Amino acid sequence: MTFSGTAGATLLSVRHLTVEYATVRGSARAVDDVSLDVNRAEIVGIAGESGCGKTTLTSAILRLTRPPGRVTAGSISLFPRGGAPVELIGATGEELRSVRWRNVSYVPQGSMNSLNPVMRVGEQFKDAITHHDGERAANLDERISYLLDLVGLGGHVARMYPHELSGGMRQRAIIAMAIALEPDLVIADEPTTALDVNVQRVIIQTLRDLRDRLGMSLVVVTHDMAVHAQLADRVAVMYAGKIVEDAGVRAIFHHPRHPYVRRLIGAIPRVGGSRSRLDGIDGAAPSPLAWPAGCRFHPRCADALPECSTVMPLMAVTGAPNGQHLTRSMVACHLHPADAIPTDVSVLEVAAPSQKEDR
Amino acid sequence: MTSIPTPASTTSSADAGTREAASARHLRMEAVTHSFRGAAYRHLGGELVAVDDVSMSLASNPPQIVTLVGESGSGKSTVARMLLGLLKPSAGRVTFDGDDIYQLSPQGRSAFRRAVQAVFQDPYGIFNPFFRAERVLWKAVDRFGMARNRADALAKIEKSLGAVQLRPTDVLGRYPHQLSGGQRQRIMLARAHLLQPAFIVADEPVSMLDAAVRVHFLNILLDFRTQYGMSTLFITHDLSNAFYVGGHLLVMSRGRIVERGSTDDVLMRPAHPYTQLLLASLPSSDPDVRWTDRMTATEQTTAKPSPGRSRCLFAERCPHVMDRCWHDVPPTYAVQGEPSAGTGVETGAVHLGPGADVTADEQSHSVACFLYDPAKRTSPPPDSLSGKT
Amino acid sequence: MWHTIIGQLRTSARLQFGLGLLGLLVVLAIVHPLASGVVGSQDAGGDPLAIAAYRPWLMPTGSHWLGTDRYGRDILVMSLTGLSASLQVGLIAGLISTAIGVIVAFVGGYKGGAWDSTLRTVTDMFLVIPSLPLLLVLSAYVRRVSLAQVGVMLAIFSWAFAARTMRAHVLSIRSRPYVDLARINDASDMEIIFQELLPNLLPYIGVGFANAAINSIFGLVALEVIGLGPAGVIDLGMMINFSINWGAMSLGAWPLFMAPITLLSLLFMAQQLVNIGLEEVYNPRLRSVAGA
Repeated sequence: MTFSGTAGATLLSVRHLTVEYATVRGSARAVDDVSLDVNRAEIVGIAGESGCGKTTLTSAILRLTRPPGRVTAGSISLFPRGGAPVELIGATGEELRSVRWRNVSYVPQGSMNSLNPVMRVGEQFKDAITHHDGERAANLDERISYLLDLVGLGGHVARMYPHELSGGMRQRAIIAMAIALEPDLVIADEPTTALDVNVQRVIIQTLRDLRDRLGMSLVVVTHDMAVHAQLADRVAVMYAGKIVEDAGVRAIFHHPRHPYVRRLIGAIPRVGGSRSRLDGIDGAAPSPLAWPAGCRFHPRCADALPECSTVMPLMAVTGAPNGQHLTRSMVACHLHPADAIPTDVSVLEVAAPSQKEDR
Repeated sequence: MTSIPTPASTTSSADAGTREAASARHLRMEAVTHSFRGAAYRHLGGELVAVDDVSMSLASNPPQIVTLVGESGSGKSTVARMLLGLLKPSAGRVTFDGDDIYQLSPQGRSAFRRAVQAVFQDPYGIFNPFFRAERVLWKAVDRFGMARNRADALAKIEKSLGAVQLRPTDVLGRYPHQLSGGQRQRIMLARAHLLQPAFIVADEPVSMLDAAVRVHFLNILLDFRTQYGMSTLFITHDLSNAFYVGGHLLVMSRGRIVERGSTDDVLMRPAHPYTQLLLASLPSSDPDVRWTDRMTATEQTTAKPSPGRSRCLFAERCPHVMDRCWHDVPPTYAVQGEPSAGTGVETGAVHLGPGADVTADEQSHSVACFLYDPAKRTSPPPDSLSGKT
Repeated sequence: MWHTIIGQLRTSARLQFGLGLLGLLVVLAIVHPLASGVVGSQDAGGDPLAIAAYRPWLMPTGSHWLGTDRYGRDILVMSLTGLSASLQVGLIAGLISTAIGVIVAFVGGYKGGAWDSTLRTVTDMFLVIPSLPLLLVLSAYVRRVSLAQVGVMLAIFSWAFAARTMRAHVLSIRSRPYVDLARINDASDMEIIFQELLPNLLPYIGVGFANAAINSIFGLVALEVIGLGPAGVIDLGMMINFSINWGAMSLGAWPLFMAPITLLSLLFMAQQLVNIGLEEVYNPRLRSVAGA
């Protein structure tokens, strides 16, 4: 790795985040009591099927939630490099603007279509850079060439219009814009969807380079588990608005604990794998207006215990915490009661006592 | 009026031979080409050739699954529409039991429709939002005279819903927006079960479904083949799904079929550099198997006009491109020294039986690439992108 | 199916208000014989619309709520009768032109090719014809014409606009997957047009009908204000014509022109509210609450 900086220190700390939507039929909790940590130079994957709340979660973290959605509880603490910690919930517009693009940037879903069609690519870079950081406006052309080179695009791309580029090239241009001010954290939502397969590989490579060569942290949100297998250090799987398992990528793929995650991993066909029948998961994901009582997965779970239909399982650490963030496994399931302290807040305090929470 | 063979009994049976001994029906494309013309294609010279001299064949007896793999823009959806009688090709014929489907009499058309059905990609768009979801089933029963009276029709509908693991109470009486994507796609399968066509053309049927549900759907398609004797043309961009489904495989790129053979042959021993590229780009779902080498992007921008179509269309991106690739359309060559379809598979596996899925026309593994020209070859062709043999 | 429609209609306040207002006007028009009977039964019976039924130029009183005109006819009854006549014309013209427009739009839009080119050319021809001058000429020659015949004449000029807009909507839904499914289900073109496409375009057809009806009503008013139009039928436009000719404004006889103007304005407002309301119902982005 060619970056410098403290690997492993907490960069982003989400605690008990809840986002609700007002609908004609009542209030729906799209994100319910979600806690998540992202460390420096770490790639965290957020996985889950459609409707699980992962896009709502990322919008909330970026403070982009719009009515009829509302953040109703929780905190989001950012610990930027060389700056004071910022509490994003309740931050003023001014504070948010100084954080966006400089410390946290965003590559939204379908973003290859969000380039301005009537401006050249280079112009749009200049726009974004000068808007968020007027001081660095000098040597823009050089900087733009450097950024394009980082993502594998030639310098000539700056003089082209978006419609002259292919989908994959546009996606990489957006990624280059997102890292223009060297943020600590880049959040990418479905960065490989709707692209051809060979382009997907290049995008995955590009994203990995952001961490390997520039030391940035990444949060990659996608339902495609294969992308997580290739990219993530750690994966948090969401179901029905909650995180059900949060563990290292190898643990998630090779020994998943939560029944939903186990069945999900088991439902992925592989080229060259055995030809025996795979099982999917019966039933369908519940709607936010009708979450089941107790564990939200229990109606579809083959191993449900009696308490699963009445008591919501809490996120617990399985196995003794050893202070190494990457290898700890957390799961919210009655089949896996905690061996150590059961609440996530105190567990993370135990695991990283140097990082005090900013409240 | 052609007589329609009665559907096989619906008792579960691994052997499709319980079907009445009807002669095999065939759905074929014969040298089909289709171009779209119009002002929108000015930058391509006024026409977009979506399908370029494609031939393929599906047989109903023994029932088979043929997968057509291609990326967006390859022409695979155009192929689906032409096979379903929705789009008349600019050149070539689409035939059903030897008759051109675009020249049929009304009775012939009716028989064709009864025997060739579809599953589409978009589980929402397939339902008319004005009506209840079950209407698609009732319309099928009505149109093809599947039941004697209303009670009989309801019984058959409930049975078909059960066959795709849907509870009638969950579905009947509901509107499409009240059902999940998986449920809606299953209703389409229930419709196929109801009609028991000889052929199903499934155009990207699982790409808009969640991963957990996809496998169920694919399993039902496989069951349709073994239990009810329906042959399926499965169109997808996802190679993992193609592998899971097994059977016969055609790889399509920019309107042409570049490689075909059994699924095992094509995916485990890919011959065409494009197929090799697709496989190399597929992320494995095993975190211990990560790419160690780097791939450079080889995309075209529209700034450079692409030369015409009298050449191999993969030349721009091919690591083994030769001079002749730019001047002639590569014909189809057999891939030599390959084991024939059916070997190398676990015995007792569900999907393949020895030679059962391969039609007489297309038994061998073949590829449209000059690297396999037996006359000119000096060294064995590369078996991977890196050029190592 | 009706369940869906009614559920949808309930979501817009403007739509409900507009429909309510329209309903009220229709009811008023329908009961005009009743009003005529009630008013006529005063003062020893008779037809309130007969010449010299009452004293002329009466101001509103207890027995004549809107007074009388130059010839002593009760203005209230005249207004209601005129409203009824206008609405009838609107209905006839609206129905005919919508029927023609639907057939032209759907057949051309769905079948495409030569059908579409031909029908579009015909539609454009009718759109281009200047309707008012042509109506003037027709009316000048055909004085002894009935209300129904006027309705037909007006329909000839209103179908083209609706046809054009509806064709655009047909084009937007004809390549939906459910249309493909209907074709695979061996449905004929007519079945597809009437069973798959038409139900989904009902709101547009409704708006087309409302527009055609209103245009026809106002077309007739325009003719009558000038003095052309079917003789012998009391219409709101004719009342305005009388006001102009008899100098009602300078005479201070305001009911004679206020009544028709008010009724026409209410009719127009009702139709606009229905249009806006329908757009609210069918355009999700105008809704304020999610999940509606």
